[in-house]
Amino acid sequence: MGAGKLAVIALLAAGTSAGWAQVRPITPPAPVKGDDQTGAFLPAGVESADQATERVKSHTPDPAKYPVPRTSWDAKPDFSGVYWPTVAIKPAPVPLESLYRPDAREYREGGGGARGLIDWRGIDSPAYHCWPPSPANGSTALTFQLVSAPGFLLMLNEGGGTFRVIPIAGADGRQPAHARRPSFQGSSVGHWEGDTLVVEVTNFNGKPWLGAARPPAQPPQTSSNALRVVERWSRPDGQTLEYQAVVEDPQMLTGPWTGPVQRRGMLPYDSIQEALCVPDPELYARHREYAASAAAARGGGPARGRGGRGGRGGGQ
Amino acid sequence: MSRRALTLVAVGAIAAALLTGCREAARENPAQTSWGEPDLTGVWKADIPAANAGSDAFNLAKLEGLYTAGARERMKQLSAKDDPTLQCIPPGFPRAAMLGQRLQIVQRPGFAFILTEAYPVARIIPTTGRAHTAEQYLFPSHLGDSTARWEGDTLVVDVISFNGEGWLASPQDRPTAGSTGVWVTSAAMHVIERWRRVDADTLEYRATVEDADTLTAPWETPAITFRRQPAGRIEEALCRTEDGAETYLARLGS
Repeated sequence: MGAGKLAVIALLAAGTSAGWAQVRPITPPAPVKGDDQTGAFLPAGVESADQATERVKSHTPDPAKYPVPRTSWDAKPDFSGVYWPTVAIKPAPVPLESLYRPDAREYREGGGGARGLIDWRGIDSPAYHCWPPSPANGSTALTFQLVSAPGFLLMLNEGGGTFRVIPIAGADGRQPAHARRPSFQGSSVGHWEGDTLVVEVTNFNGKPWLGAARPPAQPPQTSSNALRVVERWSRPDGQTLEYQAVVEDPQMLTGPWTGPVQRRGMLPYDSIQEALCVPDPELYARHREYAASAAAARGGGPARGRGGRGGRGGGQ
Repeated sequence: MSRRALTLVAVGAIAAALLTGCREAARENPAQTSWGEPDLTGVWKADIPAANAGSDAFNLAKLEGLYTAGARERMKQLSAKDDPTLQCIPPGFPRAAMLGQRLQIVQRPGFAFILTEAYPVARIIPTTGRAHTAEQYLFPSHLGDSTARWEGDTLVVDVISFNGEGWLASPQDRPTAGSTGVWVTSAAMHVIERWRRVDADTLEYRATVEDADTLTAPWETPAITFRRQPAGRIEEALCRTEDGAETYLARLGS
């Protein structure tokens, strides 16, 4: 838990300081202010995560003042840029948890299809194992770079160094091929509805978690391989990006869940940095020992839910 | 309207027609992107000869002879088990070009992106010939810091700022009787790559590797030929340590 949180903070700090490092020299870190721990890593005078979030949240999109750039090849909005931070400007109509099927509970308590987890009730989660952020949960809170290119949108994640390739249907209606194998990030295919890029994502492997709910407070918000996500990407002006996803998973949810409208600000540079997530077997081994001793302290049972590792639905 | 004005209008119209014609010609040239750069986009896979004992398709006997005494001492402490790809650390180029795995190239004006399928990572390559990232913002990395320029049909990529953890070849590459299968690099490594479009379905790749801390002279790869693949996209292929490298690569090939 602590290590994962620290890593996230370090990545946020890296993204932020890198962005502003283009225009300001690095000076010694400022002391920690309040709960905004990224402040500890940032030079004095540089925007903190809280400040950036507030700025993006209070921004009123103004396409006259900040025109949306358009590509030279199809005159569609050009998404290219490095985006951070993300804020929900309109909450989800209902909480994701309220749509979970009661009969999926046992599967969820067993850790779901996410096999290989050490102790799903505590220290680990899909991100802990360097599994890519999934479009199922609104992609990622970390810095990402979007690239518009003829026939494609690329999404390059700074945290973990993973990427999504999103082919876009041409104006002639030619449909791009889907990916063949089930995967964490699914198979994405996009098409334009006006100036909004609508991306349909299918063929998931049943392992991503749909929301941020974390054990032990809640069972993980698992998905199944019936998951289907429809994303809407748009640019209200040249400074922002908007994103909303609708998630369907009939094996897990009683109906489609509409996610929050997320707005992202931009950072003033044109490339993310390398920040790979590399699984560390030695660290996992130490955590396994810790999980076993924690389980023993809880009363000797295995560090798994009541349902064990099996369970219905999902998985490969 | 005066005759002179009419002439000006006519000249303007002809010039506009010519310009439009040129632009359309550029767009119709399949070897070029719509903005007039050589088009390297697509999914590609290198022709890799079957690994035969004693074969040296990648000029590795030469590389072996270039290692400094200091590098050889370091390599004696290591074995095939220390290959960083076994920990899912992505191989940098040129090694990644020698594995026979698929990659996808995407271009937009001013940038090329090379996405590898095995050990998935994305290289971001400015193609305008601009300088490397300023020194105070550079940090050592697995993939290094790339910048590139076009020389005719060839994209010449200059890569610096490696972290010295990568290997130049794989443990199974043993070109001589004395080979140990260990191929270290240092943070001083400098790679110059040449990606050339040969025809619609063929790319040629070459790299020169300088590494003053481990090599006594630059080492050059032979030309490696990439063939266009029918797929429109590469797949997500996550490296997981629990799979083991062999299982992982086998799963990729399925």
